[in-house]
Amino acid sequence: MTYSDWLRVDRLPHIYCAGCGNGTVINCTLNAVDRMGWKKEETVFVSGIGCSSRAPGYIVTDSLHTTHGRALAFATGIKMANPELHVVVFTGDGDLAAIGGNHFIHSCRRNIDLTVVCMNNQIYGMTGGQGSPTTPRGALSTTTPYGSQEPAFDLCELASAAGANFVSRWTSYHVKELTRSIHQGLGVPGFSFIEALVQCPTNYGRRNKFRQVMDQVEYFKTHGILVQKAHRLRDEGLPIPADAILLGDMVRRDRPAMGVKR
Amino acid sequence: MRLVIDERRCKGCNLCTLVCPYRIFSAGKQPNARGIVVPVLDRPERCANCRLQALYGRTLCGMCQMICPDQAISWVEEKPGEAQKVAIEF
Ligand SMILES: Cc1ncc(C[n+]2csc(CCOP(=O)(O)OP(=O)(O)O)c2C)c(N)n1
Ligand code: SF4
Repeated sequence: MTYSDWLRVDRLPHIYCAGCGNGTVINCTLNAVDRMGWKKEETVFVSGIGCSSRAPGYIVTDSLHTTHGRALAFATGIKMANPELHVVVFTGDGDLAAIGGNHFIHSCRRNIDLTVVCMNNQIYGMTGGQGSPTTPRGALSTTTPYGSQEPAFDLCELASAAGANFVSRWTSYHVKELTRSIHQGLGVPGFSFIEALVQCPTNYGRRNKFRQVMDQVEYFKTHGILVQKAHRLRDEGLPIPADAILLGDMVRRDRPAMGVKR
Repeated sequence: MRLVIDERRCKGCNLCTLVCPYRIFSAGKQPNARGIVVPVLDRPERCANCRLQALYGRTLCGMCQMICPDQAISWVEEKPGEAQKVAIEF
């Protein structure tokens, strides 16, 4: 089998804008799921509301497209009712960290055996480009026309602090690495959180000096540095560039988990 | 194997032109019937997958297929034809 066997081909092409990174993350996730060798009947995809959250609609398995921010609450329910199922959650930054923020930290705390793939486009894509909790300082959006003045959430730090068993961050440029990390996360018992930075050319890129889709992907490519390298720089007392995106597996631990298949 | 772009799915974002190590893809010029400028392929037979996928029994490199947000890139079986001379750059 390949990842394309998991796609609902009658639903394609999907509604995403040209060059939207969400499609790339779907490819990577399906590739990772495919590598796990799971059965389609035993895999469930859950999502909330947003562009990113439309992803399960393009996948052949059973899925749940729930209310805004509540993907994790529904996923918790599925997993606790039937721990035999493999539950993968697709979510966006607004869905996960804004309206669903509390569900997020408590799922990490409970360490439920889920894999969460967050497509972080640093904006509310679906509703027309309002600032989200991950919009970087200075970035323009429809609600921050003079540049965002608030510090942004670091979702990986949040997940690590709240107790997730596996935390990793990649971008839509790092497809191989992202697939590998999702694959690892799927295999980890307990809460696995994988953040994938993606481009939203329509609502983020266009307003933030990324005129072409490729410009933002190039930016991910040139500004990403591995966490190990960042730690080395810090230990040597060298400066880490302020605009660096830390990439890689941040946490891999074995806290007691809930809902693990026996 | 032959590398193909599914014109019904491609939305013309040109991300494939960024990742192919052989630079097989380049931005197209002519819009197709759907009004989308699909990238053009430059000697796709150089692609590692076209040459070796059958031999290895798995997808090799596959960067373009993975990054394509529209699931438009794939490899299709070719009829066994006459041997072609292929220049491979390393
Ligand atoms: C309870 C509720 N509040 C607000 C909305 C409006 N709404 C729909 S999508 C969305 C933002 C989604 O942003 P994100 O999760 O980042 O996904 P993206 O579209 O960027 O992928 C909002 C606020 C809603 N549908 N339901
Ligand atoms: S608005 Fe942004 S996130 Fe939504 S489909 Fe378009 S590019 Fe993707």
